[in-house]
Amino acid sequence: MAVTKVSDGAVPDGLGRARSGIGRKSADLVARWSFLMPSIVVLTVMLAYPIYYTIEISFASFDLSTFSAGEWVGWANYEEAIGDYRFWDSLKVTLVYLVIALPLQVTLGFGIAFLINAEWWGRSALRALFIIPMVVAPVVAGGMWRMILDPLWGVMNYWLGLVGIGPLDWFGDPTLAMAAVIMIDTWRWTPFIVLIATAALLALPKDVFEAAKIDGANWWSTLWSVALPLLVPIIAATFVIRWLGAVKMFDIVLAATYGGPGKATSVVNLFIYEEAFRSLRFAESAAMAVIVLALTMILTGFFLYGSRKLEELF
Amino acid sequence: MMSFETSSGAQRRWVLKILAGSFLTAAVPICEAAADGLGTPDGPVEIKIMANEAFANNWQTVLVPEFNKVFPNVKVSIDGVPYPELLAKMMLDSTSPQPEYDVLVSDDPWVPQLAQIGALLDLKGPEVSPITDKDFDWADFNAAPLASGEWDGKQYAVPVRSNMLLMFYNRTLYKKAGIAEPTPELTWDQFFANAPKLVQDANGDGTPDSWAIDTYFVREPLTPTIWQSILNSNGGSLLDEAGAPAFANETGITSLDIHKRLLDFAPPGALGHGFSESLQAFRQGIVANMITWGSVYKPTAIDKQTTTLTADEVGIQVLPVGSVRAGTHRGIWNAGVSSKTEELDASWAFVQWLSSKKGEAVNASLGGSFPARKSTLANEPSAEWLKPVYQTLQNAYDVAAEGKMWRIRSPKSDAAQQILADEIARGLAGQATNAEVLQTASDKIAKVLK
Repeated sequence: MAVTKVSDGAVPDGLGRARSGIGRKSADLVARWSFLMPSIVVLTVMLAYPIYYTIEISFASFDLSTFSAGEWVGWANYEEAIGDYRFWDSLKVTLVYLVIALPLQVTLGFGIAFLINAEWWGRSALRALFIIPMVVAPVVAGGMWRMILDPLWGVMNYWLGLVGIGPLDWFGDPTLAMAAVIMIDTWRWTPFIVLIATAALLALPKDVFEAAKIDGANWWSTLWSVALPLLVPIIAATFVIRWLGAVKMFDIVLAATYGGPGKATSVVNLFIYEEAFRSLRFAESAAMAVIVLALTMILTGFFLYGSRKLEELF
Repeated sequence: MMSFETSSGAQRRWVLKILAGSFLTAAVPICEAAADGLGTPDGPVEIKIMANEAFANNWQTVLVPEFNKVFPNVKVSIDGVPYPELLAKMMLDSTSPQPEYDVLVSDDPWVPQLAQIGALLDLKGPEVSPITDKDFDWADFNAAPLASGEWDGKQYAVPVRSNMLLMFYNRTLYKKAGIAEPTPELTWDQFFANAPKLVQDANGDGTPDSWAIDTYFVREPLTPTIWQSILNSNGGSLLDEAGAPAFANETGITSLDIHKRLLDFAPPGALGHGFSESLQAFRQGIVANMITWGSVYKPTAIDKQTTTLTADEVGIQVLPVGSVRAGTHRGIWNAGVSSKTEELDASWAFVQWLSSKKGEAVNASLGGSFPARKSTLANEPSAEWLKPVYQTLQNAYDVAAEGKMWRIRSPKSDAAQQILADEIARGLAGQATNAEVLQTASDKIAKVLK
């Protein structure tokens, strides 16, 4: 049996390689973590702590003299939230808004993108103009539309009057008030979907469309049988992104309708905001926020699962 | 017709007289009493004040220089915060170990909330009394505004910018309709008898172009103050002696019905109207009456940049008489001293100066604030147009004190007011009956106040 002689202080080649390998691995690990650490710290402070704080106060009484969680009250705040008809009403209002606004915005966004997808000289300028509603602050947008739709001073009723419609009481009629909120939100967010859809359309493989053209497919067949199936994963992803934005919406309502008339446009986030910062019922509103967070996570999970299935399908 | 325009020279002379007086009377005793706490030329002290952004900037540029003529070694910085965030920010600052602010200027219903968390000093307590100017006349305040700074038997704040809910009317539109202009004796029945005639078609195109009334109808916390004023004028109250809700009854329902009936004579879309919209409509001369806060009289009848109306056209009075008395509602901004301030002398000197007879007069003439003191209201005002306004204000204070016309005094006042906002809005929009919304509000408020 061959014996390797090792002189004092010398490191055998294999062991040396192993040690230097471990060293390299350790150095690599340290380097990786050192790059990750700032993000982890920022995320923990900015994201995890506020969520932890919200959950903590949702199970406690809120001590206004220290502005922190007081005595542990178990599920009392959740029972209070669930027992409040206003919370359920605001969830229903939010559901109505989401069910109408999201499909409308996605359909309009992709539709407009498809229509302006043709090569023409003003396309870039038009796309730049589409950004404007997105960068207007929601409160400004709400206030501006409030002036446009005002039954006394607004121009909308004047224009509608020219074609024999109205006058409409945009903020006095519950259905019209919800229509106004959806209209303002659609005005703000459809351009965002147009931008995503335009980029997606430009990225589609041209040869497939050329093949369809050679096969004699008309405009509708090309849209229905070629473009749409290719776009389904993008549409699904856009829906999820927009859903996550829309579910948080309350600023437009706050600026345009104040949740009225009555409680017709009082979306759940507006209700939570009012309970927390107007009524100073931080513990109860934290419980409501946690319930909404859980519902949002479940529905988001469902949508993500659905979009993955759609991707597999197409 | 008498003109209410005042020469700026006369106003300036009047202000100078007050300032000269304030130099001689107000400054000397306080300066001597606590020279150290009030700074020296080499070592000035600094105090910070948190106030509503609606008037903070005006106070900083107009009132602080006047205060510094009396107390030159106290540097004052006033930070303005938007109204919706003000209470939460005050509470956050007050509960921190080292608060940034020495003086808190809070809205009428917030004093109990701030007092409960220990944010404010008792201004009549052992810490503040020894450094209070002996000429500071507590008894001169009207009872209603002074009570807004009080809670649980202690005086935590003093009124520095008073306001009352009043009824403005447009004399031109009344004349056009051939109706005698209202008086403080006008009842709600008489108002509704006149209301159809005040919905007018001046240009003859077949559709109305001016309406009888505009006020708060939108879903927001100040809308219930209209109903509350009517409730109080009908002899009702929000809470009974034991502190339990007492409005879900026939008086409450009748009062809400009156509030709702106003919509029949209001401009299109009035269900979405609040402070801004009703003010805009009145200033444009398209509504004959407006129920809103008295402090807007100047921008509604005097300032040419903001209104089409003149002082001769705009009348002001308390709300119509219900089954018991006339109506109004209190809305006072109070200044209190932070319990953790390290500059007690300087902070109290500022609050004392601002609410003193002299400071209040300066605040009224230069800052446009309404006074709370009987003497200020009884004295010759700085401008002719203020005479009927001050007369109405004094009447409103008396009516408010008699009918306890203010929001619920409790640390949970804002939560109760938000419940009322939700339910009154539902009632006005016809989404539930008056009886249902008042019963729901009553049950919820009872739970919140428990």
